Amino acid sequence: MFFALAEGTLRALARRLRRVTVAAGELILYQGEPGDSIFFIEQGRCRVVIEKPPSVVTVAVLTGGDFFGDTACLLSRPHQASVYAQSDCTLLALDRQSLVSVLGRDRGLLDELRKVAEQRFSSYADTTVQATWGMLLQEATVIGVYSPKGGTGGTSIALNLVGSLARRYPGQVLLLDLDFPYAHAALLAGLVPTSCLARLGGVPAEAFEEVLLSAILLHSSGPMILAGALRPEEADDVTPELLTRAIGVLRKTFRYIVVDLGVTINDPALALLDLTQHMVLVTSPELSAVKGAADAVDILLRLGTPHDRLSVILNNRTLRPAVHRTAVERMLKRPVDIEVGFDGPRADQAALKAEILSISNPHSEITRAAEALAELIERYHGKLAATGANGGPAIGHEPR
Amino acid sequence: MITAPARAAAVIEHARVSVGRSMVRRRLRAVADGRATAIEIDLHRGPVDVVGELAHLTARLADGSPPLARLQAAFDQTGASDAAIDGLASRLAAHRIRSARSVGALKAERAVAWVAPLLSADQAEVREAAARALGRIRGVRSADALVRAIERRGATRTLIVELARAAPDLYLEAALFGRRRAGVIPAVAAAAGLRRRQTAVGPLLALLASGSRKERVVACRALGWIGARRAVPVLIRAIADREWKVRLSAAKSLAALHAPARGAALEALLADRNPRVQKAGRQALRRLAME
Repeated sequence: MFFALAEGTLRALARRLRRVTVAAGELILYQGEPGDSIFFIEQGRCRVVIEKPPSVVTVAVLTGGDFFGDTACLLSRPHQASVYAQSDCTLLALDRQSLVSVLGRDRGLLDELRKVAEQRFSSYADTTVQATWGMLLQEATVIGVYSPKGGTGGTSIALNLVGSLARRYPGQVLLLDLDFPYAHAALLAGLVPTSCLARLGGVPAEAFEEVLLSAILLHSSGPMILAGALRPEEADDVTPELLTRAIGVLRKTFRYIVVDLGVTINDPALALLDLTQHMVLVTSPELSAVKGAADAVDILLRLGTPHDRLSVILNNRTLRPAVHRTAVERMLKRPVDIEVGFDGPRADQAALKAEILSISNPHSEITRAAEALAELIERYHGKLAATGANGGPAIGHEPR
Repeated sequence: MITAPARAAAVIEHARVSVGRSMVRRRLRAVADGRATAIEIDLHRGPVDVVGELAHLTARLADGSPPLARLQAAFDQTGASDAAIDGLASRLAAHRIRSARSVGALKAERAVAWVAPLLSADQAEVREAAARALGRIRGVRSADALVRAIERRGATRTLIVELARAAPDLYLEAALFGRRRAGVIPAVAAAAGLRRRQTAVGPLLALLASGSRKERVVACRALGWIGARRAVPVLIRAIADREWKVRLSAAKSLAALHAPARGAALEALLADRNPRVQKAGRQALRRLAME
């Protein structure tokens, strides 16, 4: 925005900057209120949210170098969105009087800045409309399940989460299996897919929705599954564009879409991160798995996943775990949200019988964990969150 | 006894001033709208209060907006702006007051450095005019000058009101956490309340939790002015504070907030040991019943 200014002018503006520190969770700008300052993020992360009671939707996460407040400051319009500090932040504030005082002699410069602010206002308005329409039209919440190491039970957790949610909303919950190259969620549920997302890239737009929905498999107990690819070599056909297009269609049809992201962070996974409202990170109490999880937490937070939209699951795959929960939490630098007790051979037995534990066996440890996770997701994204009836935080609000 | 000719002269004079005021307004509007570029009006001569008219017009114009910029440029051309800034250093108090009004009406940010010393003037009228000018000019420099004046001379109603006007976004919120002399924080908290921004709710709640008695009293009132509904549980707890002024302040704020749960809490005040708190509780309940 300021790249066109002469160095002398930039220096004059820099001298007028005011450094402000804001604690994590604090409100920086409030939607609808007037504003008179542009804030540049020197350090930290800020979350931009649209508040349309009872919903609150996060539309952007800003980090160092980003700025906000320009439309209110330059165009004298009320703030389009609220901004909360997601972490402890250091901001540099430039108030309107300082800006006008430095640039005021050159009306052209101010007009140029206003034009840029106007463009940002329009594009931002489009983004916010896109971000809120799903919420307002009660479209599906997309939940990503990611496990940084194979064999930690990510697919099992994703499948059983779908089972728990499907018990609440039969026929309204879908599992999209993107655990490439060997996606086997359908196999674990005893289903045999004949089509998959990867094969829909060439389908014409007018037939896409019909073909996509016909590729979905229905489990007899309620959950639905869509395979990402049937063969390892088909994984590359799932492009970010295809995925975004498919999610756009599926969001209108389902209440929850759980996506098993597997172990790799590739382009489709990154595209999906932009579309998810909640991330579930699955790890097991092994040194390499926890190290991978710590790195993944760091990456996810840097990619803009809000703290309260990231849930960590510790899946005990053995009776005596090598790493204790407190050590896991220390390494992750955040609490484990749900711990799955050792469940013996139940998961494998359920797969052989084509059952989903969270539906068939209420006493299973996996069922308990899946129920707790479903509850947590419902609290943030379900009907309870919209009404605030459970006393939990409203959607999108930072815990205070 | 007023004779008929004298009455007629007064009527004519009144009409003359009205016509003059109308002409000044038209000329100022013409410049603001871009229909004229030059303005030939003396800010301080003639029967019409030109500065008052100018202040009335600029009050509705956003800082940096093209109409305001046109007016500023027009007065710069005539030399009126420079004359007003020169007048701030005059020995005559009346002249300094007039000049302060002028730079305030013109929202001349470059004059802040010359207006700020007037906040320490011996004459109360000069100090008041300077504070009002800074409130109109706004921005971080004006706010800094007002906070320094509060630190030096103590808080006055005018300084607090003008600080609320002058402070840019997050200025008061940050000042609430900063190191300040005793007496400044309550003034800043009051200004934050008058500014009525939701961003101040968090810092005010923190002040209510950990501030001195005076700070807690002002924080309670400020939360009520803002209409901070999320402060209701904290204000209900403040009703049981051991300081009667805090209880009184919390009662007044709860009365201003439209929260359903506050009736029962306010009833407890009817049995308060301090009669002023009892009275505030009664008034709050009456207000609740009228809603």
